[in-house]
Amino acid sequence: MNKVNVLLLRFFLWGLPFVILLAVFSASYNEQLIVSASYYIRLLYNLAGFIFAVWMVLSIYLGICLMFSEKFREKVLAKLTLLKERDEREAMLTGKAAKTTMLTTIAILLFLFCLSCFQVSVYSVPPEQAINGKSNVISLNFKFSVLKDSSPAISSDVIKKSNIFEYNGLPISGSAVIIGLIMWQIIAYNYSMRRFMK
Amino acid sequence: MTKSNMQLKISNRLHVFRAEHRITQEQLAKEVGVTRATIVAIEGGGYNPSLELAFRLARYFKTDINAIFSVEEENNEQG
Repeated sequence: MNKVNVLLLRFFLWGLPFVILLAVFSASYNEQLIVSASYYIRLLYNLAGFIFAVWMVLSIYLGICLMFSEKFREKVLAKLTLLKERDEREAMLTGKAAKTTMLTTIAILLFLFCLSCFQVSVYSVPPEQAINGKSNVISLNFKFSVLKDSSPAISSDVIKKSNIFEYNGLPISGSAVIIGLIMWQIIAYNYSMRRFMK
Repeated sequence: MTKSNMQLKISNRLHVFRAEHRITQEQLAKEVGVTRATIVAIEGGGYNPSLELAFRLARYFKTDINAIFSVEEENNEQG
């Protein structure tokens, strides 16, 4: 891990609370208030914006470094995930814990994949559109697209219907799923490690 | 009896050697470059050390590896 990366990483980590403060500040002050504020407040706001921009660029750079530099990754992420490999036994247990974590993560991902692809709709149609005298319909769909597509697979304008129940994939955002999985990986690894250490 | 039905049970006399040499688990761990938890696990039979660590332990006690570790065959045949 070279010295420049260490320095940038420190700037990134020290900037984290500042960015959170900035987010809170931005939420409580609107643009009009900033424009009409004094020169020093505007200067402070511009400086904060510049630091945030630098922090954003840094996060991209450090993210790429973590992906491609093995030494950097092991040094930084081992600390963040509380990974310990002080001797051969701990290295073996780390392997076991990592296996458990990987398998449970795949299980969760498979479950989330199913939840994101399945679409279920229960609705009732007018009596004149009833099929074989049955007006209650259950519609099942499997929707998979590589690119982001917000249009529902079940067309709502072809049939006049009143929805009883509708499920159109995961209601949580992609970012929430990613942060959830990161947290899960750290928790599952540390829990497994503690269990194996006993 | 097939080979798959046979299991090797590795037992050790590490605690005996340690007592003879009047050395604590912490000191031994430091000498062979592992954590105390690993020495505890080896003595308790919960962990079988690698060949490298086994040789390091034998070298520390100035003895043969077979004096510390011994192997017994266990038959797991059922029915």
